[in-house]
Amino acid sequence: MNLLRHELRLLARQRLTVFALALLTCLTVAALAAGMAEVARQRAAIAAIPAAQAEDIGAVAAWIDAKKDAGSAAYYSFHPTWDAPAPLAFAALGMRDVSPYILRIRALGLEAQIWDGDTFNPELALPGRFDFAFVLVFLAPLFVIALFHDLRSGEREAGRGRMLDALPGALALWRRRTGLRLALLFAALALPFTVAAVVEGVAWGTILAVLLVVMAYLLFWIAVAALIGRLRWSSVANAASLAATWLVLVLIVPTLANVAVNAALPVNQGAEIAMAQREAVNRAWDIPREETMRRFYARHPEWADSAPLGPAFHYKWYLAFHQNGDESVAGRVRTYRAGLEQRDAAGRALGWVLPSVGVQALLTRLARTDFAAQLAYQDRIRAFHRRLRTFYYAYLFRDRPFAKADFARAPRFGDVPNG
Amino acid sequence: MTGQHAPIHLRDVTLAYGDHRVLDGLSLSIAAGSVTALLGGNGAGKSTTLSVLLGFARAEGGEVAVCGIDPAADPDGVRRRIAYLPENVALYEHLTAVENADYLLALSGQPQDRAAITEALTAAGLQERAWDQRLGGFSKGMRQKVAIAVALLREVPVLLLDEPTSGLDPRATADFNALLAQVRTRGTAVLMVTHDLLSAADVADRIGFLDGGRLTDEVVANGPDRFDLRALHARFQVGDDRRAA
Repeated sequence: MNLLRHELRLLARQRLTVFALALLTCLTVAALAAGMAEVARQRAAIAAIPAAQAEDIGAVAAWIDAKKDAGSAAYYSFHPTWDAPAPLAFAALGMRDVSPYILRIRALGLEAQIWDGDTFNPELALPGRFDFAFVLVFLAPLFVIALFHDLRSGEREAGRGRMLDALPGALALWRRRTGLRLALLFAALALPFTVAAVVEGVAWGTILAVLLVVMAYLLFWIAVAALIGRLRWSSVANAASLAATWLVLVLIVPTLANVAVNAALPVNQGAEIAMAQREAVNRAWDIPREETMRRFYARHPEWADSAPLGPAFHYKWYLAFHQNGDESVAGRVRTYRAGLEQRDAAGRALGWVLPSVGVQALLTRLARTDFAAQLAYQDRIRAFHRRLRTFYYAYLFRDRPFAKADFARAPRFGDVPNG
Repeated sequence: MTGQHAPIHLRDVTLAYGDHRVLDGLSLSIAAGSVTALLGGNGAGKSTTLSVLLGFARAEGGEVAVCGIDPAADPDGVRRRIAYLPENVALYEHLTAVENADYLLALSGQPQDRAAITEALTAAGLQERAWDQRLGGFSKGMRQKVAIAVALLREVPVLLLDEPTSGLDPRATADFNALLAQVRTRGTAVLMVTHDLLSAADVADRIGFLDGGRLTDEVVANGPDRFDLRALHARFQVGDDRRAA
C-alpha cells in the first residue's frame, strides 16, 4: 500500500499524466451525458406518441364517422410503432442514430413504408456517434498509449533505468506501475459509466459485463504497448509505433474489412425495394381489377367470399393491389435481409480478431442497439402491420361500416409481443 | 574477508558478446570495508563487470558471487545486498531530495522515516535547505549525495560505483571521496570503475588495471602517501599504449 502511495505521488507530479487522465474522465462524462441526452430525447419522443396519435385520429375521426368508410379509415389513419431504448442504450447508441426508432405506418403496402428511411449515412455509420462506446473503442487506446508508451523507455532515457533495475523487486515495480496506470484509466472510464448506468436503471449484471469489456479492452492495448516496449526503442519510436497500430487496428483495418465484406456480400439498398414496391403498386392501376383480385384471393382465400367489385372505386381493391405489391417484392426482401444478416455475421466474426470491432459489437448487443435489435424492431412492425391489415380487411371485405368508436378497437403496437 | 568469502568475488570470469570477448578470465576479490578501483579505457570491461555483479549479464564461465550469492541464479537476492550508483545519478526531478530517498528506500523494501532520511542526507553532506527542494536544479554532486544517503540507509554490504567522479568539480570530488571513506568505515565493500586515476588514488585501497577483460595489474595502497602517482600513471599509460597498439 505504501508503495502504491509512492507511485501515485509520482504520477500526480507528472502533469501530462494528470492532464491525460482528467481529459479522459471529461470525455467519458461528456459522452455519457450526450448519450443520456439522446436517449432522453428519444424516450420523450416516444412518450409523446399517444397524445399525437389521439390528435391525428381525432382530426379524421369525425369525417370518417360521417362516411362510415373503412377504406378511408385505413387510408387516412397512421399507426405509430416505436423501438424504446434499452436501459444501456445511452452507452452505445449503435444503429439508433442511423435507423428510425419511430415509424408511423398505414395498412397500405408495408415495404414502401418500412424501407423509406433506409438510406446509408457513411459518416455516422463508420465511427458512430460520440457516446461511451466511441470513447472506449476509439479514444481510450490513445490514452493507454499516452500513459504506457514510455513506461520503461522513459526511465531508460532519464538515466534511471539501470538504477531501478538494480533494485530488489524491479519486476514488481513495473507490474505495480502497470497496475496503477490500468486502475486509473479504468476508473476514468468505469466510474462515470457506473454512475450513469445506475441512474439509467441498468441491471447490475449488464453493468458488470460492460466493466469486464472495458477492462479486457484496456488490457489488450496495454499488452500491445508492452510488446512494443520490449523492443527497447525510444519513447518517441514507441509512441509512433503505437499510434500507427491504433490507426491500423481501429480505423484502417475495420474500414477495409467493411469494404471487403460489402464487396463480398453485395446487397441492394432497402430504398430500391421501396421503389420496386411502389412501381408494382403504380402498375396495378393499369391492370384489370378482376385480375388483381384473383391474384389476391389466390393468396388470401379467407377473403375470397367477399362481394364482387362494383363499377365504383372500392378500397378493398386498392389495399389488395398494395398487398400484391408487397408480395411481388417478398423475394427481394428475403434476399436483402439475408444479405444484411450475412454482413452482420461477417462483422461479428471480425470482432474475434479485431478487438475494436468486437468491443463495439459486444456493447451494442448489450445495449440492444445493434443490427439484430433493428431487425427485431422490423419484425415487430411486420407483425403489427399484419394485425392492422386483418383489422381493416374485416371491415372492407365484409362491407362493415367503420365508425368513430372502431378506431379504439384498432390494434396497438404496444400489444405486439417482443421477439 | 578474502577469496570466496569476500562480499565481491569473481574468479576466471569470461563473457563474450558474439565474437567479442568482453571479460577474459577476470578474477577479483573485494573484502568488507575496502575500496577497490578498477581503471581501464573504453571497452576494457569495466561496466560489464558491474553488469555481471548486478545480474544484468550472465558470465559464461568462471565464478561470480556477491555475499556468497550467484547473481545469475538469484539476482534479487544479490540486489538486496547491493547499492548501485550509475555514472549519471538520475533521480526523479519532480520529487524533493527527501521524497526521492523515501521512494527509493520503499522500492528497496527498506522504508525509513523522515528523521532517518534527513540524518542520512546530513551524513552524505547535503545541506538542510536542499532537503525539501525538487531535484530539478540539483548538480550531479548533490544528486550523488542523495543516492549515497539511500545507500547508507540501506546498510548494504556492497556498493558499486560507475564513474562516480566524472563531471564533478574538484570540490565535489573531494566531498565524494570523503563520503566514500565514511562508507568504508561502515564495513561496506566498494567497487568503483573509473577513468579518473587521481580520484581512484585518493580513495581506493587497491587499484586494478583492467584491459581486454582481464586484470593486467594491481596496486595496493601503502604508507601515508598510499600510491606512487607517477608509477600509477606510467602503468595506466602502458595500458593505453597497449590498447592503441
